[in-house]
Amino acid sequence: MAAADSGPLTTHVLNTGDGVPAAQMSVSLHRLDSEMMIWSLLSVGTTNKDGRCSGLIGREAFGPGMYKLRFETGSYWEALGQTCFYPYVEVVFSIMDQDQRLHLPLLMSQFSFSTYRGS
Amino acid sequence: MSVYRLQQLKGHILPGNKFTAMAGPASPLTTHVLNTAMGVPGANIALSLHRQDPSSSAWSLITTGITNADGRCPGLITTQMFTSGVYRLHFETAQYWESMGETGFYPYVEIVFTINDPAQKYHVPLLLSRFSYSTYRGS
Repeated sequence: MAAADSGPLTTHVLNTGDGVPAAQMSVSLHRLDSEMMIWSLLSVGTTNKDGRCSGLIGREAFGPGMYKLRFETGSYWEALGQTCFYPYVEVVFSIMDQDQRLHLPLLMSQFSFSTYRGS
Repeated sequence: MSVYRLQQLKGHILPGNKFTAMAGPASPLTTHVLNTAMGVPGANIALSLHRQDPSSSAWSLITTGITNADGRCPGLITTQMFTSGVYRLHFETAQYWESMGETGFYPYVEIVFTINDPAQKYHVPLLLSRFSYSTYRGS
């Protein structure tokens, strides 16, 4: 079966506290309307058992602008019966180039997180 | 003169009635910005601290400040003002890179965190490069 194109934006969430992918975490993608200066929700998704989430946006729609990827970290840890210092993590980034592909991972534990622009 | 009275006077003098970071007893909340790409403190980075109102979910500004030469910003909040709740530290990272003639991937970085026990000390550092950042609850 042919693999579906995961689209120009992918993410991968890792639970570095437990050393496992962060499965079943809700994520959402938003774009800033530069005139109205408000965020519009573009899509929501859930990480799979490998902690990955794709298909958040199509190539045509992923034009230059300011975006925000929001990870529901608080809910994730709550579902595991744990607390988290961060109720959610929002990573705000700029896209300059229409053809840009972006891999935006989140490595997180109950008391830390990191992110980077990947490939 | 009490810290609170000093803050009141500063509020009269400074525009926008916003408090700026000031000296006084150590803040129970601290930050430290490090430029991991260059291996130096993240100096002169504008930042602000906000708290979320639990009923309305609206954010209110508590302090604005700029990191010093060591990447730190003393005086973020007073012990009296440091109540339980959800806080947000906002760092003007793109501005920082631009001031050095570079671009950054992140227009700004916001770290949202929950304070359950305001009697404790909380250290919320930011390790930053042009294309990555990380944070942790430190001491």
